[in-house]
Amino acid sequence: MKIRDIVLIGILSAATTAGKLALSFIPNVEIVTLFFIVFATTLGVKHSLMISIVFVTTEILIYGFSTWVLGYYLIWPILVLIASTVSKKISSEYGYAVIGALFGFFYGMFFAIAESFFYGPAYGLAYWINGLTFDLIHGTSNFIIVLLLYNPLKRMMDISLKRYFEAC
Amino acid sequence: MKKKIIAIVAVILACVLLYAGYQAFFAPKGSQGSKEVKIQVVIEKENVDRTFTYKTDDEFLTDLLKEKKDELGASFESYDFGTMITGLMNYKVDPNSEFFQFEVNGEVAMVGTDDTPIQDGDVYKFTLTNFN
Repeated sequence: MKIRDIVLIGILSAATTAGKLALSFIPNVEIVTLFFIVFATTLGVKHSLMISIVFVTTEILIYGFSTWVLGYYLIWPILVLIASTVSKKISSEYGYAVIGALFGFFYGMFFAIAESFFYGPAYGLAYWINGLTFDLIHGTSNFIIVLLLYNPLKRMMDISLKRYFEAC
Repeated sequence: MKKKIIAIVAVILACVLLYAGYQAFFAPKGSQGSKEVKIQVVIEKENVDRTFTYKTDDEFLTDLLKEKKDELGASFESYDFGTMITGLMNYKVDPNSEFFQFEVNGEVAMVGTDDTPIQDGDVYKFTLTNFN
């Protein structure tokens, strides 16, 4: 891995953290999903996975260590892998908006499964049902954000990455 | 752009319908009307084991606890995740080592008092417990 790659991973993971913090005042509305979908389709799977790992590690430094860490280390790389896999077949922003929506709708269920490893299936079920309304907001807002911003952000990333790799 | 607006409106409508379905079938509901419940408080180290019987129309347990705050000697703290009971029978917990374990009809509760609907005949037990 070259220095330019390390710098790029650092900058983009910092941008993801900043994007998350900027929207943190609205519960379950975030642009992290959009960022990782765009990274996966422009940068490729290897760089995007590393950005997701650095991003999650930064989250732990901000919020502390707890049981959600396990789920977090899995769920963002999984999104990168899904987006990267479907990018070979899908080019329309509608396809990515649906992926973002499904990711939001099933986000709580995924964490409920991860939490049930620590506290049992009854806790996992209660956790999931309790958060269903948040999952609805999450999935719907993801759909809107990805649908509206995927194309402009991808265009901007393509241009910026081309310039960056030419300059370095 | 028109197509996108239609897609967004369709997804928002679907979300509203799903939310209505959630409220109808999954969300915890309180039953209206007069209900009789028992609240038991056990603080072993203070030799306290008291049971109170209340008739109430409140829907959720936090409402009843707040209504009977003086009699129960209860104190609360509100957090993002809900209301935490920090004291009962005028005994304040040491947050570093103690908490009130909360049981509903003999079973350790899966949710807090905010999300516990009051059902006729329920017994709510609060036991001062050490973390260790």
